Amino acid sequence: MMEVENPVQKIWQDQPVEGIKMSAEIIQKRAAKFERRIMWRNVREYVASLIAAALFGYFFVTAHDVLSRVTFGLFIGAMLWIVVQLHRKGSATSLPRGVDSLTSLRLYRGELERQRAVVRNVWSWYLAPLVPGFVVYTIGYAIKFQRPAAWAGLALMDAIVAGLFVVVWKMNMRAARCLQRMIDDLNAAE
Amino acid sequence: MTSAQDALYSEAAQTYGAAMERLARAYEADADLRRDLVQEIHAALWQSFDGFDGRCSLRTWIYRVAHNVGASHVLRQRRTRGQELVGLEELENLADTNSGQSAADRGHALDRLLGLIQRLKPLDRHVILSYLEGLDAASIGEITGLSAGNVATKIHRIKNMLARQFQQGGSES
Repeated sequence: MMEVENPVQKIWQDQPVEGIKMSAEIIQKRAAKFERRIMWRNVREYVASLIAAALFGYFFVTAHDVLSRVTFGLFIGAMLWIVVQLHRKGSATSLPRGVDSLTSLRLYRGELERQRAVVRNVWSWYLAPLVPGFVVYTIGYAIKFQRPAAWAGLALMDAIVAGLFVVVWKMNMRAARCLQRMIDDLNAAE
Repeated sequence: MTSAQDALYSEAAQTYGAAMERLARAYEADADLRRDLVQEIHAALWQSFDGFDGRCSLRTWIYRVAHNVGASHVLRQRRTRGQELVGLEELENLADTNSGQSAADRGHALDRLLGLIQRLKPLDRHVILSYLEGLDAASIGEITGLSAGNVATKIHRIKNMLARQFQQGGSES
């Protein structure tokens, strides 16, 4: 029996409870739901990059000139690099359950800090690897089609790509700020 | 489900089921969300017993798992609710909210107690809940990972705060 040395402890321990019982089936469903949540978080991260790599692979195989093959080859390399980096840096992990509270809060904070580093450095591991493909494409086609209209088209494409890069970067910076707030909360919470 | 895992879970649910519900009440005020949290704690417990190696007591393991699930819940909810949490020191210094009401009014006292607990930061919440469950300082240290001195200081603050808030005649040491 639990020790009672303070009347408030008695108030606490005597409070009515519902007596919630869970069947083995419900428990297994809940546990499976949690595992699925972790698994899908990881799967989602890879699928988009692999789809893009497959698409570039198709273009690579069906391209007739060397310039296109070099361009798409660079994009495929970039996508595979991104998948490897995602796996190394960003895989979602489940935290151990039976550790003490202090360790648990520290592990949770470590996990948030790791995620923050990934989104903060999105330029180096996600955006920069795509740049060589666009540069080769732009220079190659600018030399191949020496017409102002072609150059204007290339400039427009590059401006759109640069705009998308900025959007991706800003979204990641916003995510980093959100993670930073959670880390601050956790520092305060400990 | 292995038979050992199943047996450990059954023992935990039977012996500590009520404590898990009380604990969930301290982490979630909304009744529906609280039922969901209780289920999450039970599922986490069942899952955790797969890795239970007996290096700590079953009771310590159960409270650790339950508190960790509760703390994750609080931190998740903070993103949406933006509720500001405080430490024991700040709560100890808060003005007495008793307003002359009788401490014999158990329903009211319990609501007030829950109100205080739900304002606490996770680690301090773990300590006060363990204290209210009647666990000794050594057990609280084992559950939270805090040093014996740190636990003693926090328990002293808890006793003072409860004495002030529930008019038990002042500071205890």
